[in-house]
Amino acid sequence: MEPYDTATVLTRVLTSGVVMSIEKNDRELPGLERALKKLTGRSNAVLVNSYTAAVHTALVAQGIGHGAEITQPGLDDRTAAFLAWLGVSVRDGSPATFDSIGVDGGNAGRLRELAATGAPALVVNLTGLGFGPAAAVLTDDPKAWARGERLKIFGAFDLRTMWTQEEADPDLVPGVQFNYRLSPLVAACVRMALTKAAQPAGAAS
Amino acid sequence: MITDFPSSPLPLPREEEAAGELAVLGGRPMIPKGLGRTVFPVITKEDVFTMLLSQRVAPEKVVADFAEAYRAYVGAEFALPTASGTASLHMALAGAGVEPGDEVIVPAFTFIATAQAVVAAHAVPVFVDIDPKTYCMDPGATEAAVTPRTKAIMPVHVHGLPADVPALRALADRCGVRLVEDASHAHSARIDGAVAGSLGDAAGQSLMADKNFPLGGEGGIAFFATEAAYRRARDYLERHGIDYGMSWIAAAFGASQLARLPYYDQIRARNAELLGDALAETGLFRPPYVPAGYVHAYNMYRITLVPEAVGLEDLPVYAVKEAVHELLVAEGVPAREWQNTPIPCHLPFRKRAGFGGSYPFTLNPDAVRDHTPDDFPVTLRMLESTLTLCRELRSPVEYERVLRYADAFRKVARRPDVIRKLVADGGYRRPWEKAARLG
Ligand SMILES: Cc1ncc(COP(=O)(O)O)c(C=O)c1O
Repeated sequence: MEPYDTATVLTRVLTSGVVMSIEKNDRELPGLERALKKLTGRSNAVLVNSYTAAVHTALVAQGIGHGAEITQPGLDDRTAAFLAWLGVSVRDGSPATFDSIGVDGGNAGRLRELAATGAPALVVNLTGLGFGPAAAVLTDDPKAWARGERLKIFGAFDLRTMWTQEEADPDLVPGVQFNYRLSPLVAACVRMALTKAAQPAGAAS
Repeated sequence: MITDFPSSPLPLPREEEAAGELAVLGGRPMIPKGLGRTVFPVITKEDVFTMLLSQRVAPEKVVADFAEAYRAYVGAEFALPTASGTASLHMALAGAGVEPGDEVIVPAFTFIATAQAVVAAHAVPVFVDIDPKTYCMDPGATEAAVTPRTKAIMPVHVHGLPADVPALRALADRCGVRLVEDASHAHSARIDGAVAGSLGDAAGQSLMADKNFPLGGEGGIAFFATEAAYRRARDYLERHGIDYGMSWIAAAFGASQLARLPYYDQIRARNAELLGDALAETGLFRPPYVPAGYVHAYNMYRITLVPEAVGLEDLPVYAVKEAVHELLVAEGVPAREWQNTPIPCHLPFRKRAGFGGSYPFTLNPDAVRDHTPDDFPVTLRMLESTLTLCRELRSPVEYERVLRYADAFRKVARRPDVIRKLVADGGYRRPWEKAARLG
């Protein structure tokens, strides 16, 4: 990424004063969600602060927790260790419980093509873009999205009203809850990188 | 350009304004409509420039340099930067040697993350009541909750006032358990000069952008008193493949904010003193209690109501509080309850699904309780008789805002007749009879 682009994006967000993920006026997180949905063709996105947070979210989204067994082809050791920590056992094989792609400066332009996979949840690791740990889970299932979204903000269903909302859907509240929230500044940079990469060669703005 | 620079200044308060009619009765609010926003965090050219320079530095180094600078400021031995405060608490517990099924004693009054971090460590939170003056974990109740399976005591320096660490340290040593701080509200808070985060065997602290010391978004940091504890935490992440890494973007912002933290601390202390003096004169309102030798960081400012001081002792205190809350909000003061029920009464600790199949609660069924709010009478008493200001003392450029808050409290305290009428009409409920809220 050209330093100048990142500089402009960071300065723009800092000037807006909105750096908090649970800020009413934040536009960066919804902006990245929109971009990812468009680029992957999925209807729902959960943004999180790391690849492992996304794997956790992809499982919780599908109601998979401690004591469950899943099938997953070709897991790497690190992810296998993480699933063991979650108490989920894995059988090597198909169908995949989640698909996973790692995006970096080299392949960001091909996200649409990479995202053409079949599992109910797609983990997109955005860390390789260079703005710090960042990831997303994409899914077409609105209920899966709702479950996943709540894992990252202590069971709340909307970042913007996290503190004050009252529960309407207790069945969707996860047991263990994390802060897996992504920072708007990081989201803004990731979106810039994805948008640039998606432009046809030579169309730099 | 979208900017957070205020479009117009808040006028200095005039004396007759505080003597005017209550906003609820049609008077002019102390904080005029459209001027209610407290800008936070304050972002300066130094933040922008530091951020831009960081792009030229290796990301790991930006994060490591920030963590080292803040570790030195706190005076802790070892530091591990994390993606969030919750992650830092998890790491503090892992570093302290908390193992699956262990019991960790936490206060019933805190943010839910304190207790969820215990579950994240595959351990079981055991909830105890708070001290009636400090609103922090009660050492006596803590002692009564220690069992052979207790591994750690985790006090929270609630709102920025350090918990009774001397008593809890002595208790921990006596029982052979670890002391782990949740210092998420307590940046720069001190006991006899020692900074929160450096007081326990380990500590976790949120650095998210709504805390007194904000990073550029989400972040946290764990502190450890020994290298062995620090290594245990790092090994834990490695062994379990967990990515809790902090973004260099968040860290870069923290580096420049850290240089200004002592300035902001002084402004907050000055604002708290000004407001406290004004409240003390009203009779109805009592400012936060601060023991001798303690420095309160005022991440939040919890005000206690004293209805008997204005002849309202015959009314239920929760109803007086609700009425006062309405009056203050009408004056433009964003007072909040911040917590309305003990943490063990929140859904995740009533259902205890944990990671699934009730893990880790299944590891230690004896530690598990079905709590009702009545199990924590001091917490309930605090919830029904207090209101909280959050960001409101922080903004360093708006002295006039604090003056106006003080006037709003004066205005409300002068009208017990209106409070009485609202209570009569109100149909108010106790805080914990309403649905649990996160904050
Ligand atoms: C007392 C307390 N502990 C822990 C946390 C969790 O921190 P974070 O939101 O950074 O994960 C908070 C946060 O808001 C808090 O108030």
